[in-house]
Amino acid sequence: MSPLAALLSPAHLLAANGLVLPHVNYTAIMPELILLGGMLLLLGISAVSPRHLPTQVYATATAGIGIASLIASLVLWHDVQKGGPFSAVARAVDIDGFATLVLVLCSCVVILGAFFAAGFLEREQVQGVEYYALALISASGAMLMGSANDLILVFLGLEILSIPLYVMAGLDQRRAASGEAAMKYFLLGAFSSAVFVYGIALTYGATGSTNLASIGSFLAQNVVVSNGVLLGGLALLLVGFGFKVAAVPFHMWTPDVYAGSPTPAVGFMAAVAKIGAFGALLRVLFSTFPTLRTSWQPILWALAILTLLLGALVAVVQRDVKRMLAYSSINHAGFILLGVQAGTSRGAEASLYYLFVYSVLVLGTFGVVAVVGGRGDEGHGIERYRGLAHRRPLLAGSMAVLLLAQAGAPFTTGFFSKLYVIEASIAAHSYALATVAMLSAAIATFFYLRLVFAMFGERAGRQASVAVPVAPAGAGAPGGAAGQFPPVGTLPAGPAVASAAGVLTLERAAGLVDPGRAEAAAVADDDAGPVVADADLQVSPWVWVGLALCVGTTVVLGIWPSPLVDFARHATLLF
Amino acid sequence: MGSLDSYLPILFLFVLAFGFTAFSLAASKLLAPQRPTAAKEAPYECGIVPSHEPPQRFPVRFYLVSMIFVIFDIEVIFLFPWAVVYGQLGRFGLVEIIVFAAAVFFSFVYLVSNGALDWGPLKRVQRVVRPIGGRTSQSTVRRIGSSSDEAA
Repeated sequence: MSPLAALLSPAHLLAANGLVLPHVNYTAIMPELILLGGMLLLLGISAVSPRHLPTQVYATATAGIGIASLIASLVLWHDVQKGGPFSAVARAVDIDGFATLVLVLCSCVVILGAFFAAGFLEREQVQGVEYYALALISASGAMLMGSANDLILVFLGLEILSIPLYVMAGLDQRRAASGEAAMKYFLLGAFSSAVFVYGIALTYGATGSTNLASIGSFLAQNVVVSNGVLLGGLALLLVGFGFKVAAVPFHMWTPDVYAGSPTPAVGFMAAVAKIGAFGALLRVLFSTFPTLRTSWQPILWALAILTLLLGALVAVVQRDVKRMLAYSSINHAGFILLGVQAGTSRGAEASLYYLFVYSVLVLGTFGVVAVVGGRGDEGHGIERYRGLAHRRPLLAGSMAVLLLAQAGAPFTTGFFSKLYVIEASIAAHSYALATVAMLSAAIATFFYLRLVFAMFGERAGRQASVAVPVAPAGAGAPGGAAGQFPPVGTLPAGPAVASAAGVLTLERAAGLVDPGRAEAAAVADDDAGPVVADADLQVSPWVWVGLALCVGTTVVLGIWPSPLVDFARHATLLF
Repeated sequence: MGSLDSYLPILFLFVLAFGFTAFSLAASKLLAPQRPTAAKEAPYECGIVPSHEPPQRFPVRFYLVSMIFVIFDIEVIFLFPWAVVYGQLGRFGLVEIIVFAAAVFFSFVYLVSNGALDWGPLKRVQRVVRPIGGRTSQSTVRRIGSSSDEAA
């Protein structure tokens, strides 16, 4: 047969190979199926419904889908505890304690994310199902990454996770920064995906398999004499993962993307991308490349130190709260890397626990930031938080708990998460790394506390509320104070206030000035004080529910940590 | 070198494609008479005399339609190999492809419901998803020469 003819007759090739159909165990991928099926259902309902459905309907449905997948994940968890771990779908999916923990975690993130998104989209009067559909797809990708036992499936999960996140970053069509964030995230993400695929190709070339377990047993039984290709593959895989978890030096996209994206999307993105990427990274390093530990541990050591220090140091000088939290998330990635670098099951357990804690904290924190940002999602300067505790005590209190937990204060989950990763690191004799981690935690405390002090310490808000009864009575007072800084921030609309900033605030409160211009003016006179109209700080009941869940989890499990710790320990026992 | 033999057809096609392109370009350069006129220099628009410069705004709908095309293109890419081995895949293959087609179909229904296929002047208010904050062309586009009537 001539070569050209062979090209044109694929049937000829098939006859030689034959096909082996995989047995698909649908319970093993049930949580993913529930999320994707629910997403299709939501899309279909939104398409055929004659009128716009309110965003609360979609949020309720999304939370319901999340609860269904949570139940399916817990059923899998039960199966694994009883019958041991198992592989499914031609050994491409591995269901063990580790995978089920990732499934449970992703389901929780979907549920919490729906609450915060509902509050935000309600305020911004966005209709449509897009946000929820994208969140569901993205979470299913993270689940796939956590339970994948094949490099191809890890890559598929990575893409299913990332592509919706690119779109979510650009959902706010009104702000150019949002489009810029989406573009940056997309371009850099696509580039890192390409690097990741190249890593898969090199690994496959060196070991002859893409199955994680097969590669592991191949490397355990054979000594690769010239292992340049294998190490190259491992290095490229690490670059791909490093990008997704925002480890320095692959972190460049993080501040811009976090600052530009719609705020609740940032919280969701930060949580779900880290869960998926760290889940896959842990599995790849621990079950596939344990024989190369001496090669990857130094790389992760350097990555962790850079990530810890740069995240903490650069966050200190940020004045935009979203950018500050972006660097703080880089710092957290460094802490999780600490557990990965340890290379022990204790390290994996600590990393998983940290992931759980971090996801809840970051969702809640960005939930509050979305509220304080005000209508238009633009007010993220630290001056917006000045005196917040006096105007919105409950909101500021929740934010303070979440921030202190991120800083690692005792009686919160954040304390135990930091304790466990540092313990694991010390147990693995990485003393220098553990010292750097503690140092960076100390630096990080500074910027968390600065925000807390801004909310509780400065009395601008209290002065304003005191000034309210004064203003109508002594009409001369505001005029006399026009040159100084009148406490106009929270005054109700009244004719007496004469300063430019005051007029602007009042106009804005009355909806006379378009928010963008008012915001620009507020930035222009920088330290003129809190230009926050109280009407802007409406907290939707959805956000309250989400915050209650986040803060409750943080405090209750911080005082009584054993359930979650046991959960993480059981997850890695069978690993 | 037996393993490399199987790549021979690809190499052959590559040479063929490259050779045909080079030949066509060279032949047109050498053989065609070159007497340019204004009409010949003008951009070709299906034979209609161009009325304005080509670089200008055109509806974003164009991108939507090309995206729909890409979606169905991808579906066809998956359908081809499926059709080739349909006999061997049996019922399993049928169920899987139905699931896949359903996913694509739902996306298509969603696109249609958002007015992705409605062309021409809008007859009624579509189910177009309102961007955050309700942006319109009046609020964002400042027409040239009318800077005085800035959006209030």
